[in-house]
Amino acid sequence: MEALIVSIILLTLGAIFSLKDSRIGFIASILALVAAMLTLSPDVYFYGVLIFAIAILNLITLYITKNQIKGVDYALSAIMAVATLLVIMTNDFATLMATFVLVSVPTYVLVMLGDEPKVDLGIKYITFMVLATILFIIGAFITVYSYQSNPALYVLGYVMLILGLALEVGVAPLHEWVPDVFASADPIPISIIASIAKFVPFIVAFKILISTANPALETITMFSALLAVVSMFVGNIGALTSKEHGRVLGYSTVANMGYVLATFVAIVNLNYIYLAISGALLQLMANSAGKIGFFTAIKKNEVGSPVTFALAFSFVGMPPFMGFWSKLFIVLSIVNTGYLWLAILLVINSAISVPYYFRLARELGRGWGSGIANLVGILTVLITLITIYPPDWFVQSVKVIVSSFNIAM
Amino acid sequence: MNLLVYSLIVPVIASLVAPSLSPKKATHIVSLSFLVPFVVAFAGLFTMDKQNIILAELSRPIGDFYLLIDPISNAIGLTVCLVSAMVGYYSLPYMLHRFEEMGYGESEYRKYIIIYGFYAVSMLWLVYSGNFVLLYIFLEISLITSFLLIYLYGYGNRRWVAVLYFIWTNVAGVLTLIGFIIAGLDNSSFAIKDISFISFTAWLLIFIGMLIKLPGLGPHIWLPWAHAEAPTPVSALLSPLTVGLAGYILLRVYLIDPSFISTYRDIILVYAIISSIYAGFAVFKQTDYKRLLAYSTVSQMGYILIGLCLGTYGLIGVVIQYMSHAFGKSILFMGAGGIIAVYHGLRDLRKMGGLHEYVPSISNATLMGFMNLGGILTIGMFGEFFILRGIVDVFGSNLMSELPLIVAVVFIFILSGWYSFYTLKRVFYGLPKEMSRPKVSRYLDVPLYMIGILSILFIFPPLVTVLLNGLKAVIGGGI
Repeated sequence: MEALIVSIILLTLGAIFSLKDSRIGFIASILALVAAMLTLSPDVYFYGVLIFAIAILNLITLYITKNQIKGVDYALSAIMAVATLLVIMTNDFATLMATFVLVSVPTYVLVMLGDEPKVDLGIKYITFMVLATILFIIGAFITVYSYQSNPALYVLGYVMLILGLALEVGVAPLHEWVPDVFASADPIPISIIASIAKFVPFIVAFKILISTANPALETITMFSALLAVVSMFVGNIGALTSKEHGRVLGYSTVANMGYVLATFVAIVNLNYIYLAISGALLQLMANSAGKIGFFTAIKKNEVGSPVTFALAFSFVGMPPFMGFWSKLFIVLSIVNTGYLWLAILLVINSAISVPYYFRLARELGRGWGSGIANLVGILTVLITLITIYPPDWFVQSVKVIVSSFNIAM
Repeated sequence: MNLLVYSLIVPVIASLVAPSLSPKKATHIVSLSFLVPFVVAFAGLFTMDKQNIILAELSRPIGDFYLLIDPISNAIGLTVCLVSAMVGYYSLPYMLHRFEEMGYGESEYRKYIIIYGFYAVSMLWLVYSGNFVLLYIFLEISLITSFLLIYLYGYGNRRWVAVLYFIWTNVAGVLTLIGFIIAGLDNSSFAIKDISFISFTAWLLIFIGMLIKLPGLGPHIWLPWAHAEAPTPVSALLSPLTVGLAGYILLRVYLIDPSFISTYRDIILVYAIISSIYAGFAVFKQTDYKRLLAYSTVSQMGYILIGLCLGTYGLIGVVIQYMSHAFGKSILFMGAGGIIAVYHGLRDLRKMGGLHEYVPSISNATLMGFMNLGGILTIGMFGEFFILRGIVDVFGSNLMSELPLIVAVVFIFILSGWYSFYTLKRVFYGLPKEMSRPKVSRYLDVPLYMIGILSILFIFPPLVTVLLNGLKAVIGGGI
């Protein structure tokens, strides 16, 4: 908690002084991230380092763009990352809700930034997000307060929580806003919304559902499974049939969120839950790295084809890239819970996504510039290649983390 | 640590170093690097080396990553090494010619040689993988690299063909992966040494997946495209080595738990025979030389499926068939590529005929290649022998069911020989057409003879006795 306060103070100061020189905001943001990192316990170190890397990439990509609130944008992006770093440690219900709001609200501003202000788009986005936040938070409350006493209410809470989550991260059929916003907003802020903003909602939902695991889950979990399947198909078919790069990436996000949501079926059988969460987190990280790389390539024409192809391979789930291990762990945990059909549909989906990722890779890998954009691309590839050594290390650390999931209400 | 571990790393290092060298040096380094594990695997076959070498101890359910060394992996491993090394030499003139055709400079060879190296390395490591996850990883790396080679340097509508190839074989791979996952969860480990049974669903998924990759009749439609439009050195690995590895994986799964194959033996056998005969006849209709060879691959892979159904003798047949097909088909694809290289893209069989007059070295090598396919005076002879012995062994008690099967399988063997010599006649013999006599680079024919000679040496002791005794020791059964 102290880390959060220190970070917020640092970021506020940075944002204020960045009016004088935007670089101050940049430095303050990095300091705030380091402050948050220092408070992490060794168990969550691997998670922390990967999130830190993604957050730094977000900051660097912001550095190469111009916008109306230059300087403040770093703070907005960094506060999301700080919340994402701390959410893994906290088991306090109020703090969990606070982190959820902390990653959601900055995106309201980020989405409007760019070479020209996009207020219309922002209004559309905010409308959806407010609805998502309300559904999520009220769903969380109902779940937590009814799981011991009232199964019917618990089911309502579960459904609201999942719907809020779906709307927030863009799971079909509540994905309405995603392709539009991804296609029309500036690529760089969108890469932040598509990367760092996705972790907290899933982690909070996992923490709540695992701590409130209840016999009613056995039946209601099918709801998550169905949403996941719809999302994979809508996402991949949408991406296959879209032309604009931003829109394709938007649909790709819808599909990826479906893969992550699929891990929620593992909550009914907790013996391999750590594999489910490892898979979900790695999938979110692979998705983040890929989205940052691709959106940077849209923004600047200087990202090379080796980078875009490597990212495409990761998205498609090819070893030794991270996208392979994440899907392996997801499928393992799903099959273990008895949802073989879901696993098969997931795998089929990752196969039908091949053509559009390769198309993106071919069309976006247009050069080999020596600028920052290509550097960002190379760094994203390095993140996805970190699993060249089998990520048993990550699974082991998640195993420890999960054992401490027990929310104090 | 076993010597093999170090020798398997040599080609990895060579592939990484190669791009910084000139094309000629890079070719020599990469090709020679594959001869190191070749020698070690060969020696392993002689000493009947059999052990597991742990690479990384991962927690369950993933289980240990280890190298599985036994006469089967050594026999297939040495085949992969030899073919990769020889095709590596062959790549040099062929790809330089291809780059010229595509308007690329010589520097493109750097990109080619590193992808080629990793493609071959991934198959070699796959053979020795003792964990299903590790095995899948190498399966997919071989897929990415071969995809890239087709995508970048293929013929015709190469991008479309590459994506077609990728999707089909990726679906094959992931179906297999789910099968592996079910088996892994059932046994709470993916390490082959710790797996004791494979459930029906797992077997079914692995079988269907590998059937697409092998491929059997039906899912075979991707293969003629991929093998024909790939640049020839890639065809010369894809067809001889990669697709057969699906048979190798099925063999490994069978050795853990044969329940699926023994329960559905009759259906699979009939399917395999139909698959082989259909593809064998399809060979006659082809007008494109590389497509013709691709159909012949489908027919030959039928042998592997047939062998898989025929008990211990059949399994020995599978390994030998893998070797003989790899030797033969790599020679044939390289021969076809030699004609493409010296006659500027000549692939149409209708324009060929009497080429023996102009390119005798390629013609004679091709004869050796077809002898391997037909099972004549080469290692292929033993493959056919063991398959037939397997039929008698498995169905021997019932003459009525045995006879039609023997007739059908013998017909397949005859069909292979028939289309082989028919094709030889169409391409090399007969009345020579009016063509010039080109100069054939030694890189384009010597590698073919190296493979051909080994395939013949393998029918004589001590090679054949060592090979058969080794296989017998792992698979079982008297010889």
